[in-house]
Amino acid sequence: MGRLLHRSACDVMPLSRRAFLIGASAGGFAFGFAGPGLAASEAPETAAAAFEPTIWYRIDRDGIVAVNIIRAEMGQHVGTALARIAADELEVDWANVRLDAVDSNPKWGLMVTGGSWSIWMTFALFSRAGAAGRIALIDEGARLLGVDAAQCTARGGTVIAGDRAISYGDIVRRGDLSRTFTADELARMPIKPAAERRLIGRTVPALDIPAKTDGTARYGIDAKVDGMVYARPKIPPTRNGCTVRSIDDSAARSVKGYVSSLALDDPSGTVPGWVIVFAETYPAAIRAADRVKVDWAVSDATAVSEQDILDHGAKQIADPQGGVMLVDDDGLDAAFRAAKSTLAQTYTTSSVLHFQLEPVNALAFEKDGIFEIHTGNQWQSLILPVLSKALGLPQERIVLRTYYLGGGFGRRLNGDYTVPAALAAKALGKPVKMLLTRTDDMRFDSFRSPSIQTLRMAFGDGGKVTAMEHHASAGWPTLVMAEGFMAKGLHQALYDPFAIAGADHWYDVGAQRVRALSNDVANRAFRPGWLRSVGPGWTNWAVESFMDEAAHAVGADPVAFRVGMLNGVGRNAGSSPNSVGGAHRQAAVVRRVARKAGWGAAMPKDTGLGIATTFGQERDMPTWIACVARVTVDRASGVVKVEKLTIVVDAGTIVDPDGALAQIEGGALWGLSMALHEGSEFVKGQVKDTNLDTYGPLRIGDVPEMDIEFVASTEVPTGLGEPGTSVVAPAIGNAIFAAVGARLRDLPIRPATVKQALARQS
Amino acid sequence: MTTFSINGRSVTVDVEDDTPLLWVVRDAVGLTGTKFGCGIGLCGACTVHVGGRPTRSCITSVGHVANAEVTTIEGLDPAGQHPLQKAWVALQVPQCGYCQSGQIMQAACLLKDFPTPTDQDIDAVMAGNLCRCMTYIRIRNAIKAAAAELRNGGNHG
Amino acid sequence: MMSLKRLLIGFAGLVVLGLLAFFVLAYEPAIAPITPPPAASFPADLVARGEALAGGGYCTNCHTAKGWGAFAGGYAMQTPFGVIYSTNITPDPQTDIGTWSEAAFARAMRDGVARDGSYLFPAFPYTHFTKLSDDDVQALYAYLMTRAPVQAPPQTNGLPFPLNMRVLQAGWRLLFFHPGRFQPDPARDAAWNRGAYLAQGLSHCGACHTPRNFLGAEKDDDRYAGAPVDEWIAPPLTAANPAPTPWTQSELHAFLRTGVSVLHGTAAGPMTPVVHGLSTVPDEDVQAIAAYFATIDRAAERQAGADAAVARAMSYASLGTGNTVDADARLYTSACASCHYNAGKLPLAARPDLALNTALSLPEPTNLIQVVLRGIGSHEGISGVVMPGFAPGFTDSDVARIAAYLRRTRTSLPPWTDLDQTIASVRRQIDAAR
Repeated sequence: MGRLLHRSACDVMPLSRRAFLIGASAGGFAFGFAGPGLAASEAPETAAAAFEPTIWYRIDRDGIVAVNIIRAEMGQHVGTALARIAADELEVDWANVRLDAVDSNPKWGLMVTGGSWSIWMTFALFSRAGAAGRIALIDEGARLLGVDAAQCTARGGTVIAGDRAISYGDIVRRGDLSRTFTADELARMPIKPAAERRLIGRTVPALDIPAKTDGTARYGIDAKVDGMVYARPKIPPTRNGCTVRSIDDSAARSVKGYVSSLALDDPSGTVPGWVIVFAETYPAAIRAADRVKVDWAVSDATAVSEQDILDHGAKQIADPQGGVMLVDDDGLDAAFRAAKSTLAQTYTTSSVLHFQLEPVNALAFEKDGIFEIHTGNQWQSLILPVLSKALGLPQERIVLRTYYLGGGFGRRLNGDYTVPAALAAKALGKPVKMLLTRTDDMRFDSFRSPSIQTLRMAFGDGGKVTAMEHHASAGWPTLVMAEGFMAKGLHQALYDPFAIAGADHWYDVGAQRVRALSNDVANRAFRPGWLRSVGPGWTNWAVESFMDEAAHAVGADPVAFRVGMLNGVGRNAGSSPNSVGGAHRQAAVVRRVARKAGWGAAMPKDTGLGIATTFGQERDMPTWIACVARVTVDRASGVVKVEKLTIVVDAGTIVDPDGALAQIEGGALWGLSMALHEGSEFVKGQVKDTNLDTYGPLRIGDVPEMDIEFVASTEVPTGLGEPGTSVVAPAIGNAIFAAVGARLRDLPIRPATVKQALARQS
Repeated sequence: MTTFSINGRSVTVDVEDDTPLLWVVRDAVGLTGTKFGCGIGLCGACTVHVGGRPTRSCITSVGHVANAEVTTIEGLDPAGQHPLQKAWVALQVPQCGYCQSGQIMQAACLLKDFPTPTDQDIDAVMAGNLCRCMTYIRIRNAIKAAAAELRNGGNHG
Repeated sequence: MMSLKRLLIGFAGLVVLGLLAFFVLAYEPAIAPITPPPAASFPADLVARGEALAGGGYCTNCHTAKGWGAFAGGYAMQTPFGVIYSTNITPDPQTDIGTWSEAAFARAMRDGVARDGSYLFPAFPYTHFTKLSDDDVQALYAYLMTRAPVQAPPQTNGLPFPLNMRVLQAGWRLLFFHPGRFQPDPARDAAWNRGAYLAQGLSHCGACHTPRNFLGAEKDDDRYAGAPVDEWIAPPLTAANPAPTPWTQSELHAFLRTGVSVLHGTAAGPMTPVVHGLSTVPDEDVQAIAAYFATIDRAAERQAGADAAVARAMSYASLGTGNTVDADARLYTSACASCHYNAGKLPLAARPDLALNTALSLPEPTNLIQVVLRGIGSHEGISGVVMPGFAPGFTDSDVARIAAYLRRTRTSLPPWTDLDQTIASVRRQIDAAR
């Protein structure tokens, strides 16, 4: 059975590997393969610890394959998924696979886990890496067997030639593995046909799971080192712009274990106004920090509340100037002028908090000239330059040690919580373990910005859609935190793709205009964050609710209306390799889910079916998904009961069927939670909800019946972590309309708003 | 000074009486399987057994467990093979896994009290255990699977 | 015809006579001090019997303060008249009661008079101990005189003038003290009488459960009608007890013996020392006490509705679980249902049902608030089992929401109107004690 090898500060790397790695990074090969002869000349002759054809894995003398995983393990079992890809090509048994969750290091390239990208980014890379290793092993195994390589096959970690065989472990022991591959060869490395897959597409036990059932899995919060001091922050009244005027810790001094308080000096500007309270134990830090009084010069964000953000967005939308166009077809304005009828609606979503169950934390200390940060993190590459600036150290002297994440959901893409721990450790000259209480964590969340969107549609004869516009205003996390990842829209203008994706849908609506607006009131008042499903979480709420309203406006069935526009014409035809089939595949899931859910059947009173469909996170990497929600509405109380969610997903090749199911289950329930149960409010510069007494993510009793189906496909595998999330809320909204004729345009949906909508309609 | 037993071992800690048991378990005793999620007894990640009953250790003062028997996830089964733990692996329940120590500890008592749990029993008794990854469907199925194993003579009660 | 002057002289004379009579009445002689008898002079079985009795009277509960020795006194009792500290009852010769003869001890126990002739304040429940038999007093004396002597000087009570004048107790006693041994009721059986003797005498249940008048005396007409004690409520032990089911003998016996009864809940707060104390008393005595109170609260007559009440309570147990949008229900369910939910016909003892609990049915929310905020330690209620305290985690609003929700959904009683004040007041008490 596979077992996760967990790297900690104490692990010592085998000498031969260290020598190889230095060689590899000096060589700088994109696929991490050794330069000619380098690995062989460095490795001791008969004492080769392992065969390492690539930086992505090694095989030891017992035939155990340890795969290096650079992605954050946060519940999606990404290590298992990726290792399996390599292991399948490498032809080893799953029982001999181990995972090695690596620390940050430039040789790994971009270290980021999010966007539902991991499998899609890695599939080809790991497949080729595995294939290359297999070929090298066959070559050397053939030589040791004294046969021709062409006579050999590899299966189950063994090279076989007729009735002769040699295990990979033995090849490592006895052989001289020095076969190398050029980048060209690797790029052209053939990958197994789907019919030959032995691990991909099958369910294998996830290697991180056993430790998560017996208390041995270690998360960032569990990291410790001798001599560490505990720390808890005083969170300033607003995320940005506060400065410390004075600190009064007199009341804290009576707390047993209290050490001191310190205003952080942060050259990176990540945590303005932060004060760190140190203590010998964490309970003492909690108590002492409660008693420390800080006088801040407070920023003007304290004048900003949720409505201000929405009002500003509405103004931005109303102003035809401003924002960035993604799509702006000629003839759109003419189409609206010539339209037989038009429809316009505005949709909003409220602030939503990450509430990852492990509050953010970091352990920081300097050891042997290296600054170590121990924590769970989703985007090491993003925060390392920030840490470098904060600490005044080159990035090579900073390393992020990897742990399991007690929930990512995009919160840990933003590694801002590492900075104060590092600064505190530097200031104190001792290891600092900084933990945030839940309240601290919620007040320090880079939460999902409230959004406001206006959509317009023009109809010609017979209800045909001739034009559509979509304007969306929200805080832009990528602008605020990762400007290098902004995308280029029309006229070379930069926009945040994670704040508008979804609006660039695959429907044929004639002339189309999509405009992304950066809500600068939001960007200044707090730090908007990437939250599971990011932009599509709100853009799809608007698009799919609006599609439904449009269908009803022209008297069309919502399913037929959508399918009619998913005609795969023009830019919606799709392309190889990522979107083969284009809109046709989206139409297929829509038709399939409608049939599964019994679309069109008679419903009991005040019960309705609603449909929504999206293409997942990005046009360039579509996961085709459709959902039908069945709801019952109590007219008197406005209470919505979601009875069933039926979901059909086409994500191309499903690497792990059970893992895929788990991700869609979890993602869909996130969508349900954000539709009916979650939603905070920004009040005078801070979020209103600071713990579970008032913020209520979905609990076990809230789970409806769910029926999830995956389309069998051999296309490129696309993402699964997020697509389930953004179809659910609009499906529910549309189902409410079908049930009782009340149209909801704002998330979350609450009984009070349902009653208002019912009253409006009558 | 408070003495109590933890996973069968007697410990004495010199901390203030109102120190939450959670931090005593995690930091003083060094068992980190029990987790911190909310600090106000509403997420269940901190669930341990005291006298065999599920208890939110983040709001239980260590003084309150004087001379009591505390069991953490590490002590639920010496080999990590309680029927619930086996079911959790068989059905691949955990995603990020952070809540699962608490889920399993809570479920262990659920099965003692309700050996044939209905969905309503599970809804009520597990409601206090938040799973942010929302792996609830599998939690429910694994509880039922473990219940069946226990009823059919699997060990542990 | 009498002149006004003669009237006044006559009146003053009467007053003087009255005062003289009063002081004659109030006079109690001192009893000579003795050398403390050696511990070995008391037979072991007498001491053992005394120990059981001391448990049954929970002497240690009031006569031991945190950080002092056992029975060394110093425990502060908040009375409406001011703070009164318990006295040192170890056999220390300097600081009492080492020099007390058995006669002096008996007089103190049954007449409320100290060795030196001064009156004891009725915070010491001599009004109950007056019923004790000679044998029991002798056994208690043997037990106390064989404890480890602790030299602990008496604390000064915080009673304002003139209440601190012990001699004035003579008046109080005239009005309210009815001395005398326990008289068995011939119409009742031996077990009932045994229970009555213990409840009225040794275990002094009425000292907490009987309301007091403005002068601090128990109201004999309202015996066991319930009273506030230490910011808790001692519920009525009569048929006026508002719990949905009556306290039968078996319920009360289980409660007193184990700290928990299935249909009523767990013993906590000021009842904790009662359960601990009674653990030294033979089981048939606890049964006797339970039998006595089962008649006081007329349990047999009130049984008829009990089954329906239990069924109703069990139907409430699942309220708020599952999919609900009621924010208060969700808060209750997330915080409490994991331990308080029940299914089936009867609650499990380890899952105290809230609908059946007296705390929800009392006119005051005090007991519920106390338990929610403080929790229940391993030494309280079910031994070795705890309930966490929500004081550090919950806001006052959270507690109020849950209390109001439970009252609203689990009872048909009118809502509590003083939740906010009660919560604030209990929190102050908790913080002050820290």
